[in-house]
This record gives sequence, structure tokens and C-alpha cells, in this order.
Amino acid sequence: MSSSRKPATFKLDDPHVVVLSPEDEATRPARGTVQVLPEPEPLPPAVLPDRPLAPMRPGLPWGALFFGSLGGLMLLALGLGVSNLVEDLFSRSQSLGFVGVAFAALLVVALIAIIGREIIGLSRLATIERLHARATAALAEDDRPAAEAIVRELSTIARGNPRLARARATLQSHGRDIIDGADLLKLAERELMSPLDAEARRLVSGAAQRVSIVTAVSPRALVDMLFVFAAAARLIRQLARLYGGRPGALGLVKLTRQVIAHLAITGGVAASDSLIQQMLGHGIAAKLSSRLGEGVLNGLLTARLGLATIEVTRPLPFTALPRPALSDLASDLLRKREGEDADKSGA
Amino acid sequence: MSPSWTDLVEEARLSLQAIADYSENLFNPTLRLGVTGLSRAGKTVFITALIHALLRGGRFPVFDALATGRIARAYLAPQPDDAVPRFAYEDHVRTLAAERRWPQSTVDVSELRLVIEYQRTNGADRTLTLDIVDYPGEWLLDLPLLWKSYETWSAESLALSRHEPRAALAGPWHAHLATLRPEAAADEQATLTAARLFTDYLRACRDERFAMSLLPPGRFLMPGSLAGSPALTFAPLELPGHTMAPDGSLWAMMRRRYEAYRRAVVRPFFRDHFARLDRQIVMVDALAAFNAGPEALHDLQAALTGILDCFRTGRSTLASALFRPRIDKILFAATKADHLHHASHDRLEAILRQMVERAAQKAEFAGAAIDVVALAAIRATREAEVQCGREQLPSIVGTPVAGEVAAGERFDGNSEVATFPGDLPPSPEGLFAAGGTAARAFKGLSHGAEAQADYRFLRFRPPLVAMEGGEAPPLPHIRLDRALQFLVGDRLQ
Repeated sequence: MSSSRKPATFKLDDPHVVVLSPEDEATRPARGTVQVLPEPEPLPPAVLPDRPLAPMRPGLPWGALFFGSLGGLMLLALGLGVSNLVEDLFSRSQSLGFVGVAFAALLVVALIAIIGREIIGLSRLATIERLHARATAALAEDDRPAAEAIVRELSTIARGNPRLARARATLQSHGRDIIDGADLLKLAERELMSPLDAEARRLVSGAAQRVSIVTAVSPRALVDMLFVFAAAARLIRQLARLYGGRPGALGLVKLTRQVIAHLAITGGVAASDSLIQQMLGHGIAAKLSSRLGEGVLNGLLTARLGLATIEVTRPLPFTALPRPALSDLASDLLRKREGEDADKSGA
Repeated sequence: MSPSWTDLVEEARLSLQAIADYSENLFNPTLRLGVTGLSRAGKTVFITALIHALLRGGRFPVFDALATGRIARAYLAPQPDDAVPRFAYEDHVRTLAAERRWPQSTVDVSELRLVIEYQRTNGADRTLTLDIVDYPGEWLLDLPLLWKSYETWSAESLALSRHEPRAALAGPWHAHLATLRPEAAADEQATLTAARLFTDYLRACRDERFAMSLLPPGRFLMPGSLAGSPALTFAPLELPGHTMAPDGSLWAMMRRRYEAYRRAVVRPFFRDHFARLDRQIVMVDALAAFNAGPEALHDLQAALTGILDCFRTGRSTLASALFRPRIDKILFAATKADHLHHASHDRLEAILRQMVERAAQKAEFAGAAIDVVALAAIRATREAEVQCGREQLPSIVGTPVAGEVAAGERFDGNSEVATFPGDLPPSPEGLFAAGGTAARAFKGLSHGAEAQADYRFLRFRPPLVAMEGGEAPPLPHIRLDRALQFLVGDRLQ
């Protein structure tokens, strides 16, 4: 047993006992005295756990290699093409050559900027993903220091969102209380996520409504297919933004892959609870008109995609707050008038 | 023991009661919260703090219904039972906040009904009625007696009293016991003396220095209205294992009185207050046991295990609600968590978890939800870092109760002290092992000199709070919100 420290008691009015205040940290009292430093914060600032990034997939990333090398080749081809072009321009006229060089330089600068933005976006997405995983672990283990760190990181991310100023203040005011890990995360979720969840729900139901209306009235299948894809991409991007991510093009591709993977995993589970309802709704709508039925079905699929995106992009798992269900959104979808209002304000 | 006729009658009565409750529950949702804990575990303070929290509000970020403002109002309603005194909430709050004293130890049962008006998360207005009973913790020790015959109890009590440190305290009683012969004719005077000496021994075991817990029967320590009645005048005897009690013998008389005690005292107590609980909080003051020594800790575990075996736990179903009510959520709370630095709270929880392992496993197996929490219903201390020589001691600052002694100094109840109570063991393994290893685990007050003890948990006065117009302000606490969330949060969704 490592219990070597014996119990000890010091009277505060004893002359040998000095009660420090947090401000006069610098002035160390005389030796031989007992110093009592009241702790203003019952929760000590926790150190960020420095975990190495786990590899996402075992084995060689063949797909990445393929696309990486393809991209490299294309860049080389592009570079070759540009340098040939510039040489041709110089051979034709000096001034045209300089204009070409200027354009080429601009192209390189813009390319670097775009790559930088993509990298930042990807790393932000990865941060949120890791936050989600850590929060799940901390909830399970009721780990106080980990929860503290997560909440602090979340506050940093939330600083970019002015709507959360009040929620962040509330959360900080509870920093002094003794709250356990899991409870702290639940508190953070309730404070920080509930305005975002409401907004996310609005976005999803808005997108679903747009899709269903456009599908119902569009003259050609190609048009509404394109529209559905565009709306889905827009929805994913908006939701990721909302929860603090900044996805660029590559980020969007990555997110879309995650969302589809998530749909594939949870689809089976979700199907059991709402498939009947969907089929029923679709059936009735289809009886009225086949276009209308298709519209409703497309809207529901968009809504489901939106829900999966929320799951993927939200930095905290759903514990204290209810997980938005398809049935909530489906009822919105069928109420057209309200939907149009939301559409206007959401556009 | 096979179920006897009385047991069957008892079951039938409980089932009838449960059906009546169920039909009432449909119209007026009621939650019976069982606050269980041995004496000095902090039941009265917990109940007071709980009511105060619901009536007065305060900082309860984890208690969802209160934090999100869904509790519109809570008020005390007339209790259902007219024959039981009302829980003196107002007096207790005044004692705590204005006089800075803890409530006196409870001497009789009292009851309280709290009505909570709240809004469900889906927007509907509802009320929930909370029924809580306060009672002397000593009486809880009687519950295991329900399933024990006189002979079993007698043998167990004797065996216990022959272990250190009890043996030293049981000397006078043992000496008198040696003069008694169970088969001899009943002798009222000898019985009176035996009961008195036995009671003295039980009282001595309860002293702060020993802090023994397993001391049935509980009414000997806290007789209530029964003091001096024959039902409380019996004691264990040295019995031969095989024969039956001869008619008219001392043995037969003791046995009859023990049965009367079980019938007239224990059974009604259990039936009225424990047989129909929905939620339970088990409050354990492990720190007092740490003060006293490993034997006290061991004893506490034995007492808790015996008591917790008496409760019916498991997932609540329609059938169970109709015929055999079960406790579907149990919270094990290590109370007085404000007596040590929060960095040690996890260790305290681990120790409690180990202590109630059997009961917790049984409850979980039956489908009940359990949780373990280090809790202070009212937080009496602040935290501080003490630098003493080279050592950094995570300490607490508070005002000790007048008369507390530490390091040879007696406190007057006004001066503040910073105290480091000792490091709790990092893992609870070995603390509860039977025999020698447990006894060597650490040294407590029961070993002798106070200076050698490994732990010293002082008792502190309640926190100094500013009264607001004659009313007590919200009181500080540690994890009371988490306890409330676990116990009633799901019924306020």
C-alpha cells in the first residue's frame, strides 16, 4: 500500500500557518511555515490526452495510392502543358510570354491556397471525428479529466459560432462545480448542441421538402436526379459547417463516404422502426399521384441522409438529448405550408 | 427456511397493497424513494437537502429537469399516513443553515410527501408525488432478523462478540452469560440483567473509536416507544446445537420474546416502509469506518450485505408492479464526500463498489439499474492545497464540530482548519479479505494511539451561508444533482 502520507490538521489561525491567496503566488512566505492555498477551481485543469492517431484501415491504401499517383501525373501533365504553352508564347512575342508567366504563377498560388484549405478542412473533420470517439469513451468510463478536455475543445470550436455565446457562458459558469465526467459531457451536450440540433433539424427538413417538391413538379427524371444530388451535397456541407467542420471538396467527398457508410450500417436498424411508416406514407401518396409519391419518397430519403450526416458530423454522441428521428421530419414533410415558410427563411 | 404460514399471509397482504397502490398510481403517479442507511450515514441531511433542492432550486446542472427549468413548482403535501409524524423539514433546514448544526439523530419514523409539478419534454404538464420516509438507521439492522430464528441469531451474535475488538467490550456480558443455563427455569431478573449488559455491549461497539455496524437488534440501541417492554428484554444464549427448548425454560422465554420482537416490531416496520419501494438510495458512511479501523470496515460490509439481501430488486414489469413491487434503480452513495479532497472521490467510489459488490451484482442480474457515487448532500468544506515542508497535501478547509480532536488538539467549533485526512488506498482489493490481510490493511483509532492512525476524518459544521430574508438560500452540495438525476430524473422526462 502506497499510503505513506499521514493525516495532518492545521489550524488556520495558527501563526505558523499562512493562508495564501491565488494572486500573491509570487511572494513565497518564510520557510518553516505551512502554506495553505485555497483552490478556487474544484476541477483541476486536465492535461490533454496525447493519443497517437490510430490507423483508419489496415493494409496499404490502394485507392489513395491510385488517386494520389493519378493526381501527380495529371499535375505533371498540366505543368508540362503550361511550360510548353509559355515557351510557345515567348517564341511568339515577349509580352505575351510574360502574361502567360503571370497567369501560371497565379495558378500555382491559387492551387497552393486551395490545397491548404483542403488540408485544414480535412484536419478539422478529423478533429471532430476524434472528439466524437473520445466523448463516447469518456461517457462510458465516466472519466472526468477526459471530459474536461473534451468540453474545453468543444468550447474552442464553438467560439466560431456566435449563437452559442450564451451557452458557452453557462457552461463555463458550471466549471467550478464538481461534476463527473459523463455528466459534464451531458451538460455540454445540452448547452452547446441543442441550438445546433434545432438548426440541423430545420436544415434537413428544409432540404427534404425542397427535394420532394422539385421531384413532384419536375418535367424530367434527369432534372430531379441532378437536383437531388445537388441538394444532398449542399445539405452535407451545411450540416458539417453547422457543427464546426469546414469541409472543402475533398472533405465533402470524405464526409459523403462516411455518411453513406453510416447509412449502410444503421439502415438495417432504422428500417425496422420506420420502414412500415414510410411504405405506408409512400403507398397512400402514390395512390394519389405517382409523381407525388416519388416526391415524398425522395424527400424521405434526403431526410434520412440528413440524419446520417448529423450523426457523422456532430462532435458529441447523442446521450442527453433525443436523437432526431425520421418520424419527426416526416411529419414536417407532409405539412407543406410550414415547409414553404421554413424554406424561405432557410434559403 | 421454507415459507411458513405467516410468510404466506404477509405476501398476500403485500400483494393486495400493491394492487391498491397500482390503481392509485394510474391517476396520481407516485414514486416511493427508500432512503436506506445505517445510523449517522446522513439520511436526514440527504432528505432535507433533497427537499430543499426541489423547493428552493440552486445549482443542479446535472439534474436535467431542474437545470432545464421544467420543474414548475414543488411543494410539501399532507402525507398519506396519519399515524406517522411529519418529517420536520423546516426545523432541519433552520438548524442547518441558521445555527450551523447537523440535525439530531433521528429517534422515530417520520414521513413526507413532496409533489413536483413539471412539464414533460414533449410539453405536457404532469405531477409526480415523491414519498420519503426517515427513520433511525439502527432499525434497519433488524431487517435480516426477519429470516433468522432465535437460535441462528443467538449463535451469530455470540460468534461475532468473540472477535476483536468486540471481545474486549463484551467482557461483562460474557461473564454474566457464563452463569446462565438455557435449560434452567425462566428467571426474569437474570433476563433483565442479560438484556441490559447485552445492550451496553452493543452501545460500546458503536463508539466512534470502534464504529461497529453489525449490531442487531436495532431497537436495543434506539428503542423508540418500546423501551422496557418484554419484546426488548432478551439476549443471546449459549445454546446446545441439537435439542429443542424445554417448556418453561429460560431458552423458551428468550425465544418467545425474540419471536414477539420479530412479529411486533420488525415485520410491521418492513411492511410499512420497505416492502413497496420504487427507488432506493443506500447511504454508506465509509469514512467513519476508515477512522476506526479495518474491522469496522469489514463489519460495515457485513451489515450492508445482510440488509441489502432483504430488498426486492429487479426490472419493473406490469406483473411485478401488480403483485410484487420491485426496486428498479439503486444508487449506492458514499456520503460525506466533502470530508476528503475530490481527487480521492474515485477511490471512495471504488471502495464502496467493492463493499456492496454482492448486492449490486444481485440487483444487476435481476435487471435493476445501479450506480455508485461519492456524494455530499450538503457540502461543509472547501478545498485547498497545503504545502507542509516538502509535501503537497490535497486538503479540505472547514470548521470542525466543537469537541472534535485531532493531533491532541480539541476544537472549539469556531476556528477553521485545513486538514489532510490521509490517502485512501488506490485499489479496494484486500480491504475486505477475510482474516489477517484485512486486519493489516491500515491502522485505525481502535488500534490505540490516535497519532498512529492512518486516517483522520474530522466532522465539520455545516457551511456558513447567508440567510435570505429568514429563508435558507440554496445549499452547496457535491453530486446531489447526479443522485437526483439517477433516482427520479427518468420519471421527470
